[in-house]
Amino acid sequence: MDPVSTTAAPSGLLLAGSVASLAAALWLLLPKASDTVASRRLGFLLGAVALSGFAATGRSLGCVGEDAVFLTVAGIAVISGLATIVTRSPVYSAIWFAMTLAGVSGVLLVLGAQFLGVATIVVYAGAILVMFLFVLMLAQPSGMAPYDRVSNEPMLAAAAGAVLLGLLTLSIGRLSAAEPPACCRMPSRAQAVAAASVVAPSTDAASKDDASKDDESATLIAPAQPGGDTGDANEVAHLGAELFGRHLFAVEVAGVLLLVALVGAIAVVSRGEATETDHRREGR
Amino acid sequence: MIPATMLTNALLVGAVLFCLGLVGILTRRNLIVMFLSAELMLQGVSVTLVAWSRYHGDWGGQVLVVFVLTVAACEAAVALVFVLQAFARTGRLDASAWQALREESLPRVIDHELPADDRVVPTWPHLSPAGVLPEGDDSRSLERDHV
Amino acid sequence: MQSSAANLLVLVPLLPLVGAIGTVLLGRRLGPRAHLPAVAGIGAAAVVAFLLLLGTANQVGGGHGDPMRPVEPVEMISTLWQWATVGDARSGDLTATGLEAVGAPVAPGTADNGGAFSIPIALRLDPLTATLLTIITGVGLLVAIYSIGYMHDDPGYPRFFALVAMFVFSMSMLVAASNFLLVYVFWEAVGACSYLLIGFWYTKPEAARAAKKAFLVNRVGDFGLAIATFLLWMTYGTLDFHDTHLADGTIVEGILGQIRLADEAGYVGGAVGTAICLLMLLAACGKSAQMPLHVWLPDAMEGPTPASALIHAATMVTAGIYLITRSAPLFVGCPGALTMVSIVGATTALVAALIATVQNDLKRVLAYSTISQLGYMFVALGTGTMLGFTAAIFHLLTHAFFKALLFLGAGSVMHAMGGVIDMRRFGGLRQVMPITAATFLVGACALAGVAPFAGFFSKDEILAALHAKAHPEAHGSDHAEAGSAGERPRDLSGGVRLATSLPSRPFRPASMITRTSRTDAAAAHGVSSGVSHEKVGLDALDHPSTWRLLFWMSLLTAGLTAFYTFRAVFMTFTGPVRVPKEAGHHAHESPSVMTMPLVVLAVLSAFAGLVLFATNALSGFLAATPSLTAPALARTAVPHVFHWDIAIQGTLAAAIGIAVAAIGHLGRRSDSPQMERYLGPLGGLFANKFYFDQIYAALIVKPLEALSLLTAFFDRAIVDGTVDAIGQVPSAWGSAIRRMQSGLVQRYALAGVVGVLAIVLALAWQLRP
Repeated sequence: MDPVSTTAAPSGLLLAGSVASLAAALWLLLPKASDTVASRRLGFLLGAVALSGFAATGRSLGCVGEDAVFLTVAGIAVISGLATIVTRSPVYSAIWFAMTLAGVSGVLLVLGAQFLGVATIVVYAGAILVMFLFVLMLAQPSGMAPYDRVSNEPMLAAAAGAVLLGLLTLSIGRLSAAEPPACCRMPSRAQAVAAASVVAPSTDAASKDDASKDDESATLIAPAQPGGDTGDANEVAHLGAELFGRHLFAVEVAGVLLLVALVGAIAVVSRGEATETDHRREGR
Repeated sequence: MIPATMLTNALLVGAVLFCLGLVGILTRRNLIVMFLSAELMLQGVSVTLVAWSRYHGDWGGQVLVVFVLTVAACEAAVALVFVLQAFARTGRLDASAWQALREESLPRVIDHELPADDRVVPTWPHLSPAGVLPEGDDSRSLERDHV
Repeated sequence: MQSSAANLLVLVPLLPLVGAIGTVLLGRRLGPRAHLPAVAGIGAAAVVAFLLLLGTANQVGGGHGDPMRPVEPVEMISTLWQWATVGDARSGDLTATGLEAVGAPVAPGTADNGGAFSIPIALRLDPLTATLLTIITGVGLLVAIYSIGYMHDDPGYPRFFALVAMFVFSMSMLVAASNFLLVYVFWEAVGACSYLLIGFWYTKPEAARAAKKAFLVNRVGDFGLAIATFLLWMTYGTLDFHDTHLADGTIVEGILGQIRLADEAGYVGGAVGTAICLLMLLAACGKSAQMPLHVWLPDAMEGPTPASALIHAATMVTAGIYLITRSAPLFVGCPGALTMVSIVGATTALVAALIATVQNDLKRVLAYSTISQLGYMFVALGTGTMLGFTAAIFHLLTHAFFKALLFLGAGSVMHAMGGVIDMRRFGGLRQVMPITAATFLVGACALAGVAPFAGFFSKDEILAALHAKAHPEAHGSDHAEAGSAGERPRDLSGGVRLATSLPSRPFRPASMITRTSRTDAAAAHGVSSGVSHEKVGLDALDHPSTWRLLFWMSLLTAGLTAFYTFRAVFMTFTGPVRVPKEAGHHAHESPSVMTMPLVVLAVLSAFAGLVLFATNALSGFLAATPSLTAPALARTAVPHVFHWDIAIQGTLAAAIGIAVAAIGHLGRRSDSPQMERYLGPLGGLFANKFYFDQIYAALIVKPLEALSLLTAFFDRAIVDGTVDAIGQVPSAWGSAIRRMQSGLVQRYALAGVVGVLAIVLALAWQLRP
């Protein structure tokens, strides 16, 4: 926590270097005509450099020991994500995406969102990704398709993505240095929720939040007052209460949406060729 | 609740995932990979939402992620159906196969130089047949030589 | 009486207008009876106009018969509504125009107007208007009835009657309007009607060309009237004819109002006055087909014959006569301009008569005859005397009758001959169409000035007025001197004395005219400012020797008129019967609906002159017109007498003309060798109409065509080129940007992302710490 106050705004030079090396890495890695093994290796190297650069400019990482788990899962997520988009074979892409999901799930768990972490694995890796693979099996022609070996405007897109990431990093880095915007100073909505919350706040959670607040409120955005979100133990229960309490109507709407998507998918498919209909029904 | 350092770290991860997904959707021409990239962007957004939710102690972010999951599932279902329909028409999963909206006087965009297919063709061991080889069409083997 | 007369006066233009609109609306439904609304409207208007004439005559009372008695002006104004009112149209920028700086005269009674500009829609009724309204509606009615027969198979039947009714409306508004601007409006309106009627058969190229020519030539004259109107307003501060009594007690003195008329110094002379008068003369030349703007009238014969009779012979062409008569007080102040009127008239009369002698197209003979007769009226107007003005209107009246008669007779011939109008291709029609032949002969006699017929008397008066100007010492100077002394002695013996003295009187050179009488005459003309007693410039033309020349020119014209008229009569109606093959086998007399107007007009042509002259009804009646009661004009009134000496000269000229025509054409085949072979090179000159069209083509049309070619090139190459070049810019941009429309969705998405990035970068730059 100490570096928070000492670290000023990220060095512009570092940020620019990160952006440039990320763009170069992406360009080198994306499939294109002039690919060689060496260029891909250089790309991986540059990508690693860029990601560490972004990590360094975005935020000083504080105590490594405390965040080692986070670093690991975040690294898995990011590197797998990079591999997802640069791998030539779509099947490998899908598998790398599964790795990304695992990493994201880990990040969510570290952040304390147990339910979402598990749900991501279950829903994405278990359902959606499998569906993708099914489709790939059905649709992929034999051999590597030519369109998998080339990219569309790789240089410009890589530059755009890198610049966007640079901008995001810049603004994330400024979160610590800047005055909190007016909207963030207003009383948290969680405070109001807490009053009507189904679950009563526990005292120890409140005291812990107060302690952490003392450290950070000087320079950071004021964190919310402690609400029903206390321990990890009943996090799922809280989320369920929130979901089926305040957001019950939205849940219903989401259910209807799922139904509509199901009906729509079947309707579209049944107008297609009869031979493929059976396979596709299994997709969802 | 999470500390501010954790917040910014998580936000950074979300931003990286989002940008990678963006680059992917812009560059990759395989429709499936494009959808994977879109899902990658959604993952980045989800991480960001959860981070802010945990930071503020507000459940709204996490609830939103639940809905994001739902909508992603719907989207995947519908979109894949369309992908299959598209494949049925062109025999390809190529986003560049559709150029009908281009200016009339312009020629079709064609890939002029394709990289060599540099994959390593695996050589499978040939075992002596045990028994009688079943009648079958070798050219229509069920096994794909490459996935 | 006043209000009912006002209501009746409004009816005169209104009824033909209603008839025109009714014909337009109901024409298709009525089919062959499409003439009903128009004829009914014009007929009702004719009745109303005749009633108004009687009423006005009643008001004038017993004034006639004694021209030397002071005449009370008779007028009635009916203001319908205010058209436009501008508060201080004159204020402020008058000095900016520089008019006052150069000493432009402002007439008395102008300043208290306050510079307000207002246009009342006002109709007036006075003897002049009543007379003209009667002529217009009466001839209009007869022509409309005649057209029922003449136009009966034409596909544009309803259109024709709507136009005729519209024309009667415009013309009656023109003569009834009491404001120069309104006069201008309807001056244009009759021009438009004329254009539409000449081009009635618009699919015929000659007709379309003739209509265009008439319109364009008339524009030259209209331009003169417009400028004259501007000058009038700048000088007099109003455009009204009449005086207006405002609510606050002030009086706006109208240009031809009673107050100004009574004022000896009420009218501006000098350069401005002469300019106004000459511009009006230009306008009158355009409408009344005087040289050099006469070229449109012969071509206008391409229109239907009834339209020619109505517009280009009887009514519209008299608009110029009307304008000058109405503006008589303005002209009287400018002797130079008046003399110009006469010179233009006499020249036109002679030239047109010479051209008419060699024309073979019956309608063209009549067209040039019209120009010639209008020139006669101009000569009379230019004398600037009471006798001259009344003689001009008298001749206008009789001419309306006999020229309408002749045109309708020519139309009848044309109708029977299947559209052929070339006199060499038919002859001896006396046996085929007796009624037409008889009535045509009456008209010809009237035109030629044969003794008892109408034209004889009116022509006699014109010549008499000219003679009086040519020999002022005989019977004019004593009046002028007496007039300036403020007393009008009754001199009943003037005409008689002239009759006895003239034949033996030799012409004297101009130097023998006493100087005093001329200067006195100038003073008596009421020139108020800007002109010294020494005659300079145009005014120097006003000299007895000029008038003598004009007199002899007019007399020569009278002889020529008789010649060409009877040449036409002999060629058409005498000799062996010949009918062109276009007429088919049934060349016959026209239906009664066509001959009836002929008979009516023939009766009028035969007796109107005699009756009007014997009773002196017209001149005494017209003398009560406000414009003619100006002191400078009123004191030129002479007793009403029959000028034997002039009548003898006129009849002699006519007789010679008829005799020559008879020698050449009576009883011969009309396609036999013509008399013009005796003319030598002059014949070619006459046949080619003095090369007026060729001169205009060389001097005006060709340079204008060259100019328009140049401007067309400029327009196409430079103006259009610039516009096209500007138009190419977006197109070039488009073709540059078009390459981005590859149809690849990913490129579109990339473009969107780049755009969003640009916005975000700009925002980040703005919000940088």
